[in-house]
Amino acid sequence: MSPSRTDIASSEVIELIDDVLNTLAETLEDGVFPEIGYYGASKKNVNFREEAGYISIDEAPSFIDGRKVESAKTIAGFVYGLSRFKEHLEQNMSMSLRDFYYMHKVKHVQDVLKITDQNETNRLINLCERVIRHDGTSVPREEFGVVSSPKGTFYGDVTISDMSGKRLNCASAGEYGWFISSRPFDVKIHDINIDAAIFIEKEAMARNLIELAIPEDLRIGVGSLFGQPGRNMRAWIRRLADEEIPILILVDMSPWSLRIFSTIKSNSIELANIRGLATPEAKLLGLSTEDFWTRRGMLTEIEHSLESMTKSDVKCAQQNKNIPAISKDQYLNKQNEVMLKKKRKGELEAFKSFGLPLAQLKGLYINYLKTKAADLDVKVI
Amino acid sequence: MKRESIPLLLGKMLTGTKFAQRQSRGTFGLGGSLALLYGQVTTQKPIEIVTGQKGKSYGYSIKMQLDIENNRPVILEEDRVQKSEDERGTMITFSLQGDWLRSKKRIIDYFYQTSIIVPYASLFFETPDNDVVRYDRVIHSVPKPSVSTKPHPRGVDVEMLKSMISTTRAKSLKSFLTTAFQRVGDKKANEFLDYAGLDSTRVPDSLSVEELVRMMNSMESFEKFLPPSPNSLSPVGTEVLLAGIERLSPELVAFKQRPPNAYEGHPFIIETGVAYGGNLNAGAHVIRFANRIPLLYDERSDVSHRVVRELNLKNYGFRQEDPLTFIMHICSTKIPFKTVGKEYIADVDVVRREIELGFKECLRDLNKRVRRQTKAQKHQRRETRLATYYRFIAETLSTATGRDVQLKHLFVDGGDCP
Repeated sequence: MSPSRTDIASSEVIELIDDVLNTLAETLEDGVFPEIGYYGASKKNVNFREEAGYISIDEAPSFIDGRKVESAKTIAGFVYGLSRFKEHLEQNMSMSLRDFYYMHKVKHVQDVLKITDQNETNRLINLCERVIRHDGTSVPREEFGVVSSPKGTFYGDVTISDMSGKRLNCASAGEYGWFISSRPFDVKIHDINIDAAIFIEKEAMARNLIELAIPEDLRIGVGSLFGQPGRNMRAWIRRLADEEIPILILVDMSPWSLRIFSTIKSNSIELANIRGLATPEAKLLGLSTEDFWTRRGMLTEIEHSLESMTKSDVKCAQQNKNIPAISKDQYLNKQNEVMLKKKRKGELEAFKSFGLPLAQLKGLYINYLKTKAADLDVKVI
Repeated sequence: MKRESIPLLLGKMLTGTKFAQRQSRGTFGLGGSLALLYGQVTTQKPIEIVTGQKGKSYGYSIKMQLDIENNRPVILEEDRVQKSEDERGTMITFSLQGDWLRSKKRIIDYFYQTSIIVPYASLFFETPDNDVVRYDRVIHSVPKPSVSTKPHPRGVDVEMLKSMISTTRAKSLKSFLTTAFQRVGDKKANEFLDYAGLDSTRVPDSLSVEELVRMMNSMESFEKFLPPSPNSLSPVGTEVLLAGIERLSPELVAFKQRPPNAYEGHPFIIETGVAYGGNLNAGAHVIRFANRIPLLYDERSDVSHRVVRELNLKNYGFRQEDPLTFIMHICSTKIPFKTVGKEYIADVDVVRREIELGFKECLRDLNKRVRRQTKAQKHQRRETRLATYYRFIAETLSTATGRDVQLKHLFVDGGDCP
């Protein structure tokens, strides 16, 4: 189990920022060009271990040498960014990545930094995360008040208090359930009455399950990933896993979906420095290649519904071979190989191609979920 | 000019056999005599001359006409005029007929280019359109004048050889060779006569036509003659050319004078220059001079144009569209013009090579300087940007930390460079 991130109060973050700013100020006053060291997202600095996902190992530090023009620009952006974070934290305000980008359009800032692309400001935030460290690990941008637009929902009998301060139950918070907080680390979990949580790539299927009252019948939570899950969703999954809730992931059978699953399970190389985003306990529920192509596969009957992989699908699968979290995972690697061999992909919507009456569809879903979960040693009643 | 020299200098066309060789463009090198002649032929108006020397309290005013048939001047009127002792110089007034509208551009080009190659002269031209073209002299030093030399054995033809023999006072072929030609000593004369199979003691006059032709052909094929002396040449010189090229107001100029070389027994010196940037027009241009006379016509046929066309500017860090002007001056006792009209220089291998080497040397030099300049500019820009970033960092830090962050130790001038 990977450690969840350590708690850190915003006053502590302000202190950390102040430390850095004051050190820089002193350096300049002493007449020395500053040099900033950090651990980049290079493969040297990141290790992959199946039981923990990607972990930063801080082997090869990088340095920003203030004597160089481009580095001076980076430092200027870095200092400006920290000053913005500080002000926002002091005022208890959050900002989005886009907000942060627009703060660089302040006339006198734009005149100096000439930033024209949000990627540049995103990189600056990433740099801040890497430079500002606490307890030997990066301080995630959420702690600076920089939150991405939250993505993902969760439905189920879990009682929490989110940033609104209100106590609510995720099964009675609207038709999709609870809209996952941008800062799941700070969400308080009061009560959990589910035996497992299933996170589904596509919201349509998740909604179907909710409409069919499957969460209630099976005592499970149903989350909707909305494609590649955001940082907040991954942190929420980690939170649930910390509560010892089995995590099951239901995605398409495609090379892209292998990536979605591997990101949940192992985090990514780019964000290896941020703790609390990997859930190595997560299990791939489906759709798997065995569902379609083994004798006792549960979806062999609709094998004909599979579509051909496009060129970019094939390319994606080929690149998956170079992603440690996929290639070094025996099961995922096999999935990828089979897909490459068959050159076909399956989508969650395939359940609809059984052509069953709606009453029987529910039974099919329940049967699939139960059987597959049991295969993974997760008991769902 | 002295009063006494006027009729000879201005009123007589210098013709005749040219046994002595020197680079020349007529009496003064301004094309004056022929212009006067042309003026009289077309208008029949007399030439007015005012001349005076320093230290004399009077000068002369002369009206004269040319007696073309006898090649001598006829003085029509002559007056003494009062002048201050400091005044000196000669003023010539004459009329000529021409088609201004048709030739306007060429005439103005001619003045302009002349002002480049003769920057030690002041030019003033009031055009029929009442415009004034004026170039003040920008330098006082004048190129060393050429010295007259004897012909080189390789630069004569049979006719010339014949007439040289008819006028020589030498009693033997050997002494004829050593006295009538340049750079032929006793040893060379003997070697040559052996080579040509002629008796060194022969009286020159006694040669038959066949022998003359043989001698002539041998002169051409004999390889041991020393190259012709460049003393008969008067290159402009880098200093004068640099002054002249300033009229183009370029950013950078490089000039090279090639060492003397020879073709067909005539020495020649190539001077090349390349100007870059500043007020120059975009693209590569060529300005050509032969014995300090601008060549205005048939530019594209000229050998120097071919050389420029074939240059690979990229090798020298330039692009085709960069503002580059190539200047080529050839001085020689016989300019290798391709045509009788003397419009352009022929593609003679040895001449082309000299021009090419000259231009390449200039380009290399320019490239070095342009590179140094860009390097300095880059450095300057880098410093400026660095200072801008640190001023911004200091301001941001001051606001964020509440302390007054100074940069005076980081940048010697406090980071206030522009």
